[in-house]
Amino acid sequence: MSLDKIGHPRLFRLSGILLVIGLLTEAISLRWVHPLAFMGFIIVGGAFLSAGVLLFLYSLVSFGPTPDSRDPGAN
Amino acid sequence: MPGPLVILYIFLGTTIVLLLAILARPSVTITRGGKILAFMGFFVLPVFCGLWGASEHFERSKQTSFCLSCHIMEPWGQSLHIDDANHIPAAHFQNHRIPTDEACYTCHTDYAMYGTIRVKLHGLKHVYMQYLGTPMNPIRLYEPFDNATCLHCHSGARSFENDVHLAMVDQLKSNQLSCISSGCHDVVHNVSTLNQFKPWSPKE
Repeated sequence: MSLDKIGHPRLFRLSGILLVIGLLTEAISLRWVHPLAFMGFIIVGGAFLSAGVLLFLYSLVSFGPTPDSRDPGAN
Repeated sequence: MPGPLVILYIFLGTTIVLLLAILARPSVTITRGGKILAFMGFFVLPVFCGLWGASEHFERSKQTSFCLSCHIMEPWGQSLHIDDANHIPAAHFQNHRIPTDEACYTCHTDYAMYGTIRVKLHGLKHVYMQYLGTPMNPIRLYEPFDNATCLHCHSGARSFENDVHLAMVDQLKSNQLSCISSGCHDVVHNVSTLNQFKPWSPKE
């Protein structure tokens, strides 16, 4: 059985970029003990991380197997 | 041994490197192992790092330095350092009756089940008013100070169990009478009179 690449390529790439931005926001926000760092993490970092994770999950379910990847013995 | 924050940074760095590596070579996800690696990098590790980061930020938001990092709170921070034994916050802070690194939080949370969440929501309101609204002038509590905060530590303590307190303990527990009412422990964060007192600082 052959395997496809994971998920929808464009959504997959976009989710990766969103996650990297979210994680960088988290890393930067952790440098300060200040309400704005807290808000920055919760609002900006949280939004990017949530969007990245949800988009990744959506890319998995929205991209079915291609016809040539199906098991030829099936059916 | 590295502290929790260093370990969190290591996780963040590892996750970012893993994500960038997969983005640079998406073909690795053709194999079953690559798919598992991608699932770790795109789901498991970011969720883990996000929850750990949120927990770290919530713990930091209890710190005295966090509350006093806003300019408007400076006089309240100074009121912890005045040389006056009758000033309740200063006496508590200087005698370590409360954890000095979580002084504000200890007295301004309520110890009910959702007390921490309630004070965090109040904190979000503070931030909103500070940056997008008009802060109260002078600052005051949203609700009258709850005696339960005092009684959380003092109830049952030998110094509390005297005739005066025991005579009014039911009124105190029901908040009919405030601990900080006039004539009792009423010298609390009197920021307008701070310049009348010498500052105190620990010797070591």
